[in-house]
Amino acid sequence: MTRICFNYARKEQIKYISHLDMMRLFQRALRRSGLPLAYSEGFSPHPRFNLAAPLPVDVTADDELGEVFFKEEIAPEEFILKLKKQLPEGLEIKRAQAVDKQAPALPSLVSAALYQARLVTVSPQLEVNIEAYRSALERLLDKEEILAPRSSRKGKRKTNVNVRPYINEAYFNGDEHEDQVVLKLLLQTGSRGGVSPVFVLEQLDFELGEKRPSHVNWNLHRVRLYRDCNGSLKPLSEGMCI
Amino acid sequence: MQTQKDILKYLLGQVWKPARYTGNEWNAVKKEHSSVDLRMAFAFPDLYEVGMSNHGLKILYESINRNPGMLMERVFSPATDMEELLRKYNLPLFSLESHKPLKEFDIIGFSLQYELSYTNVLNMLDLADIPLRTEDRKGDHPLIVGGGPCAFNPEPLAPFFDLFVLGEAEECLPAILTGYMDLKRHGYERNEIIARLSTFEGVYVPSLYNPAYSGEEFIGMERKDDRAPEMIRKVTVENLDTAPFPKAPPVPYLQTIHDRAVIELFRGCGRGCRFCQAGYIFKPVRRRSRDKLQQTAKEIIDNTGYEELSLVSLSSTDYPHLEELINNLDSDLSARKVKCSLPSLRLDSYSIKLADKLHQGRKSSLTFAPEAATERLRKVIKKNITEEEIFTSLGDAIDAGWQGFKLYFMIGLPAEHDEDVVEIVNLCRRLREYFKGRAKRKISINVSVATFVPKSHTPFQWEPQLSMDEVNRRQDILRTGFKKLRGVDFSWHDARASFLEAVFARGDRKLAPALEHAWQMGCRFDGWSEYFDFSLWQRAFQKTAVRGEDYAYRRFSYDQCLPWDHLSCGVDKNMLIAEHQKSLAGEKPEGVTHDPDLL
Ligand code: SF4
Repeated sequence: MTRICFNYARKEQIKYISHLDMMRLFQRALRRSGLPLAYSEGFSPHPRFNLAAPLPVDVTADDELGEVFFKEEIAPEEFILKLKKQLPEGLEIKRAQAVDKQAPALPSLVSAALYQARLVTVSPQLEVNIEAYRSALERLLDKEEILAPRSSRKGKRKTNVNVRPYINEAYFNGDEHEDQVVLKLLLQTGSRGGVSPVFVLEQLDFELGEKRPSHVNWNLHRVRLYRDCNGSLKPLSEGMCI
Repeated sequence: MQTQKDILKYLLGQVWKPARYTGNEWNAVKKEHSSVDLRMAFAFPDLYEVGMSNHGLKILYESINRNPGMLMERVFSPATDMEELLRKYNLPLFSLESHKPLKEFDIIGFSLQYELSYTNVLNMLDLADIPLRTEDRKGDHPLIVGGGPCAFNPEPLAPFFDLFVLGEAEECLPAILTGYMDLKRHGYERNEIIARLSTFEGVYVPSLYNPAYSGEEFIGMERKDDRAPEMIRKVTVENLDTAPFPKAPPVPYLQTIHDRAVIELFRGCGRGCRFCQAGYIFKPVRRRSRDKLQQTAKEIIDNTGYEELSLVSLSSTDYPHLEELINNLDSDLSARKVKCSLPSLRLDSYSIKLADKLHQGRKSSLTFAPEAATERLRKVIKKNITEEEIFTSLGDAIDAGWQGFKLYFMIGLPAEHDEDVVEIVNLCRRLREYFKGRAKRKISINVSVATFVPKSHTPFQWEPQLSMDEVNRRQDILRTGFKKLRGVDFSWHDARASFLEAVFARGDRKLAPALEHAWQMGCRFDGWSEYFDFSLWQRAFQKTAVRGEDYAYRRFSYDQCLPWDHLSCGVDKNMLIAEHQKSLAGEKPEGVTHDPDLL
């Protein structure tokens, strides 16, 4: 039995699909690869495979992680070589490494994620009032409570959860692309609660109210995932994995 | 300058399920447009999830793209949210593979699977900025072609199509396309090209025929051009083993309706149920050899990575030595944990045994279509199963551990009485009691009742549909009956949608203006209950002075000319008449049991 952990990037071409679609895509690519996959037990066996954290539809990413179990010894190089051939344009495997089979499942390690949100306009003539955005963000962050609807496990009862504590950091930053508004979001995610970047951006648009320009869209990108290391955040791709 | 690509990118961020429009799936074929002589778009007038489940698409995609000089790309009906944005930003409908406007293709081929997708056909042409009517299209416009089951009575669509291909196009289509390009290269003008194409086998060019009427009565087609054949005969594939076989179909990202690998065991169906158009238009039965199936099954899984392989056909369990085939497939594919499945089952013990073999896992529910609840009515429609067979096979299924059943029935069948309708409820009650005695666990029963729609080229093509009032009354009988029957889930079809289907299934060219009008008023996705708006259709009929009732409720006489009489599926009209009379005489059809020699 081998357990391989790998890093991958999701580019524009492939960003329009959901987490479940991604799971299916990888499982089918793995089945095509001819690698000696280990399968789950039970009624409908599927390859033992995990992605660290769901990526929302319409979000690109640079440094995501996944893990696969094999029933035989497999060298990470062979894994990369064979899987690469089965992946569509826009999905890139970067590195892979064998990891301890006993280590906790990858998704359980994720505790935060860093996002970059960029404003794109459908017509270039459109001016974006950055100041309006900055003050809207300030107002949003000043709130003690930002309620997000959650449905219970069975999907029956709807409750509201305060997600303000899950926004670790949020700031506008113009350093890399002077002409574009870039918002950085460090958000808590994972089993101990979290908030989706899409929801935060919706709340920001809501704060803008009438000042929100039409024909403007957020372009979302996940820079990296983090794990909790005795109270401080460490990039997930360092340490246990690679 | 903002390019179309930028706008499109922006739009994709605004719509629900953007992957419906982006393509780039595994096995999607991308060719440079300039590197081929002929560019065809396969247009499916429904959502991506529906169209990508169509096996015909995969076959033709293979049949065209395997030619180095041709390419085929796909396009589906945009959902309403995307349509709104395309119109707002004035963006033309584009293909999935190259994102090029449809207008830039040489040929657009529409797959006509069901009547309630016709407004989507017009909508797609309009979104592509192509004139709707053949007479308004100029030299540069793509050739608009239709195929699929509805091409066997395409008259309501006649003014909008340049030509139809009748029957199975996978072998003849490349030749038709080459013929088209040759004629174009020779500099013939559009109308002449289309007229010359009418001499190709299976090609129907509606503009070369003039429907003649005596008063209101259709009396036959007048040919406007001597080259056009009097009778257009469908094309069939003779040998399925050598016909194009989609070994590497595009693998969707989105979950589609049938998201699995497919091998087609045989074409046609030997059962001959009298209401079933597929049974007649796909005659005769031709099967693929077991060797070929086994070999291609492995290749498909290699190429797609699917976790399920469906063995499809109109009536798959009629394939001879199916059990052996399944055993062989299992041993080839079990290492990769690929499961085989059958789309539908017959109600016999043999089928139950097979189903048991296929489902090693959780046995949720099995699907059967008895269609009618009384033996008498089943004989009328030639669905020959006895009540005893139903009970034995469902009992066997319960013993094998199945948790429930989906049962399909129809109302409004010819010679149906109230007793037959009531009997649907009674049969389900008897089944429920029977299950109670047989199983300790709870067995779920789902009953779905459709309304009979008379279809062209079947022995019931002369029969009227029940009036909507009468359908509603009989549905009330069912609703009342099932309300009292706990533990049985009952659902039914909208009588108005079935009416519309019947109007178009036996329609003529006079319906075209009504169709166009309905589309203009906003009718789209008429097969989807959430979009279906019958009041718009009523207005469209009124505006264009068409009485839908005259089409749906009419009983045709044998000597009357039917709007599809010039289109032959290979079955003689006299044979249909004979079958029709047999059914009404309540004559017992020849006994059919599972018999490998049936095929
Ligand atoms: S068995 Fe099914 S496919 Fe065959 S004729 Fe009957 S209804 Fe049609």
